[in-house]
Amino acid sequence: MDDFLPKLLSFPQHPPPTTPLTDTQYDDCIRAQITAVKSIPDSKLLVHTSSGESVLDFINPAINTVPYTFTLLATITALQKGSKTVKGDNLWDNMTGFLATFDPRQIRYLGSELSTIIEAVVEFARQRGQSGAAVAPVSNALLRYDPTGGMLTSKHLVLVRLALSSRQLADAVPTLDKPILYFPTAQKPLKSKLLCNLSNSPNVYITSDGGFSRKLKSWEVLEYFLYRGMIYMGTRNWKKAHQSLEDAFTFPTKDGVVSKIQIDAYKKWVLVGLLLKGKLLGLPKVTGSGPAKSFHIIAKPYEAVAQIFESGTATRLKAEVDVGNVIWQNDCNMGLILHVLAAYQKNQIRNLASIYTKMSIQEVHTSTTSAETGARLPNVQATETLVRSMIADGSLPATLSASPNLVLSFSLVGQVLSEPQFQRELAASTTQIKALTDEIKHTDHMLTHEKDYIKWLQKQKNSGKNAADLGVGGMDMDWNGDDEDLMAGAY
Amino acid sequence: MTGTQNLPSSPTQSRSKKTLLVTDPPKFDLESYIQNYQGRTRFERLLQIGLCSTFLGVDALRLAVKEAKQGKDTKRYIQAQGHLQTIGPNEPESRRDQAWIEATDKKNQAETTRLQTELNGYKHNLIKESIRMGNEDLGKQYQAMGDLPKASEAFSRMRQDISISKHIVDVSRHLIEVATEQRNWMTVTSNVQKIRGILSSSDEDKSILPYLQAAEALACFENGDYRNAALVFLGTDTGLGSTAATIISPNDVAIYGGLCALASMDRNELQKKVLENSSFRTYLELEPQIRRAIAFFVNSRYTACLNVLETYRADYLLDIYLQKHFEELYHLIRSKSIVQYFIPFSCVTVDSLNQAFAPPGKTVDKELAMMIQNNELNARINTIERLLEAVPSNPRTELQRGALQITDDYAREARRRIMHMNVSMADLEVKGKRGTGHNNMGLSDDLFGEPVGRELRSRGAGSTMLS
Repeated sequence: MDDFLPKLLSFPQHPPPTTPLTDTQYDDCIRAQITAVKSIPDSKLLVHTSSGESVLDFINPAINTVPYTFTLLATITALQKGSKTVKGDNLWDNMTGFLATFDPRQIRYLGSELSTIIEAVVEFARQRGQSGAAVAPVSNALLRYDPTGGMLTSKHLVLVRLALSSRQLADAVPTLDKPILYFPTAQKPLKSKLLCNLSNSPNVYITSDGGFSRKLKSWEVLEYFLYRGMIYMGTRNWKKAHQSLEDAFTFPTKDGVVSKIQIDAYKKWVLVGLLLKGKLLGLPKVTGSGPAKSFHIIAKPYEAVAQIFESGTATRLKAEVDVGNVIWQNDCNMGLILHVLAAYQKNQIRNLASIYTKMSIQEVHTSTTSAETGARLPNVQATETLVRSMIADGSLPATLSASPNLVLSFSLVGQVLSEPQFQRELAASTTQIKALTDEIKHTDHMLTHEKDYIKWLQKQKNSGKNAADLGVGGMDMDWNGDDEDLMAGAY
Repeated sequence: MTGTQNLPSSPTQSRSKKTLLVTDPPKFDLESYIQNYQGRTRFERLLQIGLCSTFLGVDALRLAVKEAKQGKDTKRYIQAQGHLQTIGPNEPESRRDQAWIEATDKKNQAETTRLQTELNGYKHNLIKESIRMGNEDLGKQYQAMGDLPKASEAFSRMRQDISISKHIVDVSRHLIEVATEQRNWMTVTSNVQKIRGILSSSDEDKSILPYLQAAEALACFENGDYRNAALVFLGTDTGLGSTAATIISPNDVAIYGGLCALASMDRNELQKKVLENSSFRTYLELEPQIRRAIAFFVNSRYTACLNVLETYRADYLLDIYLQKHFEELYHLIRSKSIVQYFIPFSCVTVDSLNQAFAPPGKTVDKELAMMIQNNELNARINTIERLLEAVPSNPRTELQRGALQITDDYAREARRRIMHMNVSMADLEVKGKRGTGHNNMGLSDDLFGEPVGRELRSRGAGSTMLS
């Protein structure tokens, strides 16, 4: 054991060299080390040191990620085979500790190994009937592996399924909050692009051949968006749910076909839109015309509910919902529908704010109706409780005066940002947009280096046409140009 | 005041339930009013007054019967006489003159046949000018008989044999008249445009301009496009006189134009485009009360303005065109008055608004709420202290919110587009079963991946969609 320890710890150098390694040197060293560690048989890795410690006990996964990974893997395999000699007492702690601390640079070379460990964690938790416990470690590991979070991997799917089935929703949210931009492709990493270059975007080191994620199918991507939306619904984050569902049903389709997932997403989107904005929102412009038609036909009952919610009475809404009971149940949207019913009166009360400044609670009581019963609330006290709860959760900017004559005063100007607050928000937006510009450049670069595009370009050249005006004309940020000017005015 | 409710005073009410009843005495004199018009519109107007006014009903219907008897349209006669019989059975005109009806019908038929034979003769001989005139005569005959679709058809046939531009004017004028009676405003507008297209700058051609403008404005007005109607009415050149007496009188131009302007323009515009408009002034002089109402509005005396309209309500409700629109116009003018009244204040008591604008015995509370809801009035109601409060505007906050919203939307849209590009690069689009992609989604055991587009097309909106 002790004899190959130096081999395990040969990289990275300790203490770190005064001049940091160049990317090329780093790449050479780590590849050499991986080969070296791989050559050590599992049995040897599992042998304890002379002082009786396991390798996992004294290697720090944050520094020596490579040997730790392989030792951990060896332990997992041994335990799966039912080996008696290996102690698995600390396995869970070891695995989760590893997932929380691994070195994000070294791990890029260990995609498939990381994948195995994540699966082991999920399996481990599942076997003990506590699958929810795996949500947080997996979510953290995904963010550690790809800090931008822009690449959708098959592990993301594992995460959302796990989170939904175990109802451990909040832990998954940090990963889900990252907008998806890329998908694993079969692209071979270019020689010039070293895995260890930290400025590389995730699609350099996460490819479908890398072992971490397989190539996704379109329905899996859709499923991710749908489930992500459902997780947000579970955490009552209607805005994010709305956006995620929108991502699902605006997903590009060919020949006007629609996936059932998209239709499901659309149905939920309509209902979530009611909870969020109180009305039926128009389809985003990017929705294809073919899918849009299917949505309107298939989700008709939902749109009907939305229209009544917007302009109809509580009684009608309740009647409509009762009629469609079977539909909601079959679509598993009963919970959302109940939310919509509950939201009706709240929405009415909020709308009062756009007409009145002050009114007695008695007037609120008489001018609103509950869609849950199709009638007014039983007494003024119930209305008062409702109004109080709305003020408390921040959904109604208003104040209620003290008893006995309760007067509800709506606040006229919603939330006002203070100057520094606004500056901060603006700065955040600016960095966001700047980061986006890089993403756009990057995507543009990838597109211009795409095999098909180059082939096409070559053909154009061969046929003697001027290809100059046909190519991708640089980055085009200007699809609705006025926005830029408005931004400039805000500074 | 006015009785738009179900007052039991008119026996014709049961016959035409939807007819509005006007119980107040109108300000105009029936004889001189109807002098303004010529042709078939006279009868229409008389009948309208006869049906709606409890005050002038009998007189108007008697005149209508007389009017009908001078013409050839027996259906009209029967109509007017029928109504008169119900409300004024003692009038000598209320007895049905069966002999006249039969004689007229017979004469009409003979005349029509003669004209048709003549026309056929012309056609046989291929004399263009005669064919055109034959068609014109036939059209006039049909029009007089009240067979408007046939009249319109005959007049349209004139177009084939046109030789000079004056003929185009003739054809279109005939068509405008028929279409006006049919309330077919599309045809009116298109024919106005046709005449416009060929007008030269000669004096004779110019003299027809007011007629065209009035007809066009009326079409806009009837379509409920008050703003445009106001603009066209206000642009009517002087000298309409009786050139459009078969459709509209100069008084009507003043009233319609004035009301539309009141309903759709702000005070500055009213001052500039109405009161300082020299050509429209000649019309306004005919109806001084409209001029007064506008002047009151411009001088911010909204209550006085509304009072003027209220006083003349009976007159306006008896007008064949205005009747349908008056309530809406009145409502618009009142809403606008409230908005204008409120502008200089940050806070007004609801009671003072009631005093100024509410019809007696009613309150404006509901109307205020409606106006706020429709974004017509930027204010909020305080029901506790009974105040109408202005909304404090905070452009800075709005701008800030807007800016952040825009960057947010922009970032989202940008990300979505990047994602979509990457989708197409990764060949991930949702495809049908026919798709050639290697990520075939048609796995039969895969509930989610199955494309439904095609089934949908064949099945329509079936109920077992998600089976």
